[in-house]
Formats: sequence, structure tokens, C-alpha cells
Amino acid sequence: MIKDHIVSSYDIDLNSLKASIARMAGMVDDEIAGAIDALLKRNSDEAHDIVQADKAVDALELKVEQDATTILALRQPVAEDLRQVLAALKISNILERVGDFAANIAKRATVLNRHSPSVKAQPTLPEMARQVRTLLQNALDAYLDEDAEKANDVWMADKHVDELYNSLFRELLTYMMEDPRVITPCAHLLFIAKNLERMGDHATNIAEIVHFTVTGQAIEEARPKSDDTSYAMVVPPASSGPDEDANDKN
Amino acid sequence: MSPIDISVTAPKSASSGAGGVPKMQAKGVNVFYGDTHAVKNVTLNVFKNDVTALIGPSGCGKSSFLRCLNRMNDGIQGARVTGEITLDGVDINSPRIDVVQLRARVGMVFQKPNPFPKSIFQNVAYGPKIHGLATKHADLEEIVAQSLSKAGLWDEVKDRLDAPGTALSGGQQQRLCIARAIAVDPEVILMDEPCSALDPIATARVEELIDDLRGNYAIAIVTHNMQQAARVSQRTAFFHLGELVEYGPTSQIFTTPKQERTRSYITGRIG
Repeated sequence: MIKDHIVSSYDIDLNSLKASIARMAGMVDDEIAGAIDALLKRNSDEAHDIVQADKAVDALELKVEQDATTILALRQPVAEDLRQVLAALKISNILERVGDFAANIAKRATVLNRHSPSVKAQPTLPEMARQVRTLLQNALDAYLDEDAEKANDVWMADKHVDELYNSLFRELLTYMMEDPRVITPCAHLLFIAKNLERMGDHATNIAEIVHFTVTGQAIEEARPKSDDTSYAMVVPPASSGPDEDANDKN
Repeated sequence: MSPIDISVTAPKSASSGAGGVPKMQAKGVNVFYGDTHAVKNVTLNVFKNDVTALIGPSGCGKSSFLRCLNRMNDGIQGARVTGEITLDGVDINSPRIDVVQLRARVGMVFQKPNPFPKSIFQNVAYGPKIHGLATKHADLEEIVAQSLSKAGLWDEVKDRLDAPGTALSGGQQQRLCIARAIAVDPEVILMDEPCSALDPIATARVEELIDDLRGNYAIAIVTHNMQQAARVSQRTAFFHLGELVEYGPTSQIFTTPKQERTRSYITGRIG
């Protein structure tokens, strides 16, 4: 561990930045858990609370921004101190985005609750949420412990979330093709899954920032990815029998 | 080519010294003041068109090292310098070297502005006169005007060249000293804390001037102000307890220093 600064208030300032990030991370984690819970339990009140709670995360992001600006202006940090301040700025920004995704899931939960529960919230979603929360928690631990190794593990692990997203994407497409009446709920579920998948990406972004903060070097290799849904294309099965004839007549 | 042809050389890019031939080379330099070993086995090159900043806490040997580069330690009782220092490949401690000539080629600007108790004109003209750089008064006038212009002082003093140099403000006096140093057409300029007695505006002027001068000279500057080192230099050398701990591109030293001691010092953890 590195020594303390000669000016001890400098350390207090830097530590308070970290504390704010830790608080933000805790709030965002609660948001994700709550949003998925509200979705599974069809609890619109809880979903509404989550949307409201996101404002506190936004406020905390603003605080980190102001505190970081003050440190930059008053202390002119260099080397790892500078990277610490930049990391706090960027990670707070990322956590704010992740909070937005969680709030968005909560909003979609309220919409889904208005539909009949014809399409069950897929069991894959809570599993995705669990994995994403673990990734984010580990990324944040890596940040707080200044542990580049741990950050690398997060960076490598996101592909599992991508794989879950992939299979859910295909599953939901199938439901929609089978029954057009479930397109609305399925579309919402798809966006929820996409939100979770983006959260996983953001966990890897935090991991990259931590790696740079600790080592001063960017991670250079290409990240393993498993999300190939951007290239997915579903061709509807060719219609047959009377329908085809009907089409021909039209 | 006239010997005072100091303004026509096109400034070269900052990186030109990177792979180039060092203007001055110091190899295994030690400085002793009596029993005190002030500089320990320092090897460091200074390049033309580059500003090399020497940083480190008080007593780390940076000023002692700087003073070796134009043999300013010669006059200090009990001081002893070992190791090799070359200027364009020639040993500056060799008996064939005239130390007065050496100090004309390797000029120095000190922490406190120290103009001669003479007129502004005489302050700048003195060096060129004793070094025989100008025979006619018109030539001398030309050198004085050019030097004051290059030091960024001409517009402020051109109407009162007969006023005493000591009547100028601190920042103007320091720029007068820089004009005096460049009037003898040096190749290397050594600066020992040139801004520590100046206010922020005067400091900014001198820093701007250092950046301009870099186009024509090799500059080595000792500074306690790390932000200043970061602003004005292309290379930074960190001294600690008489040792050269780390020497590298300024951008690297201030972002990703390799040595633990450098890191601790520049981030304010050791002093």
C-alpha cells in the first residue's frame, strides 16, 4: 500500500470520493435487485419506489462530480492520484447509467403488470440479474481495494451474461412468432434483458478503469464477447396450405 | 556568419533531442562538500531544443549537480567534483578549457535576480563587451536590443535603457538577467529556481520565455515547483538524497513514474 500524503486533508478528500462511489454502488445494487423483484412478484408499488430511488443516485453522481472538480482545482493531482480522481468521475457516471437501466426495468415491470401474466417473466432474467450484480459488486470491490487482478476477472466473466442474453433473445423471438398477442410483453422482456446485458458491459468498463487506475496501463487485448444478437435474423417459416392460397389470391 | 547570430536559427521540434546527440553529457558525477557526499554517481544528458527539469526535495543535490555543468562549484571552498562532464563531447574540466569561455557557452540564471548596479543597457552589454563579441557601439546596441527582445523585455524598457537595472520590478529584473545570459550567445542555459522569487504573472512570462528559448538552446532548470517542471520541460530528472532516482520524458514522470520514490514525491507523499 502506498504512503499517506503529507497533507492529510488530501487523503480525506480522495477517500471521501471513494466512499461516495461505494454508496452509489450500494444504491444501484439495491435498485437492480428491487426492479427484478418487482418484475417477478408483479409488484407495481415496489417498481414505483425503484423509479423514485434512482433520483438519489443521480444526486450522488452530481456530488462526486463536484468533489472531483474541487480536488482537480485545488490539489492538481498527478500520477495515481490523478487516475483516482478520473476513475471516480467515470465510475460515478457509469453507475448513474446502470441506475437508469434498473429504473427502466422497474418502469417496464409496471407495464407488464397491466398485462395478463400470459408470458411468465423468464427464469433467465433473475439469473442474469444475479450474475450482473455479482459482476458489478466484484468490479466495485476491485475499485475499492485497488486490485487489478480482480478487475481482470470481472472483465473476463461478462461473457456468461452475454450467453444468457443470447439464449433469452432467441427464446423470446420464438414466443413472439408463435403468438403475436405476446409481442408487447415479450418486447418489454427483451428490453429488460438488454438492460441487464448492458449493465454487464458497464461492469467490464469499470474493470477497465480500475486496471488503468492501478497500473497506469490500459487493458490491450480484445475482450471475450458472446453477444451475437446484433447479427441475428429470423426468417419466418414459409407459410403452407390454405393460407398460402389466400395470399396468392391477394 | 556573425558571432551574434542568435535569432535566425529555426526552432526545432521538442522531440528532436530524443534520439539526437546530447549537448551535454554527465557521466558518474559525484560532488563532495568536505565530508558531505552531495551528488552520487549521476549520469544524465542534456539535449538541445529541450528543457530538462531537475526536481527533488531540498538538499537532494539537484542544484549542486546543475552547478557542475558550468563549473560553478570551482569557487566553493572544500567542494570536489569527480566524474566526466562533456560539452559537445569535450571534457569541460580539462585544463585546456577556459572556465570564463565555458560560462559564456553555458550561461546561468539564478534564483534571485541579481542585475549589476548599472544601467539596463550596461547590464546586457557587459558580457558581449568583455568577450569581444562586438567592437562597434552600433553592434553592441544591436545585441542589447536583440537580447532584450528575446527575453521579452524590450518593449517595457526600450525608452529607459539608461535607467538602473535594479530599478526594475522583480520579474523584469529576472528577464534582464536572462537577457544578460543570452547576450553572450550561449549554447546551454542553466536556471536555478528562476521563478521562485517572482509573482504568478511574472512566472508565467518567464515560463513562456523558457519555451521560446528552447528553440535555440539546451536548457536545464532546477525547480521546486513540480507544476512548473511539468509545464515547461520535456524531460524530468528526479533527485533524492544525492541520487538520480529517475530520468525520463516529463509526461511519463508525471503520469506513470516507474520508481516508487518518484511516485511518492510527485504525489506529495515524501518531501
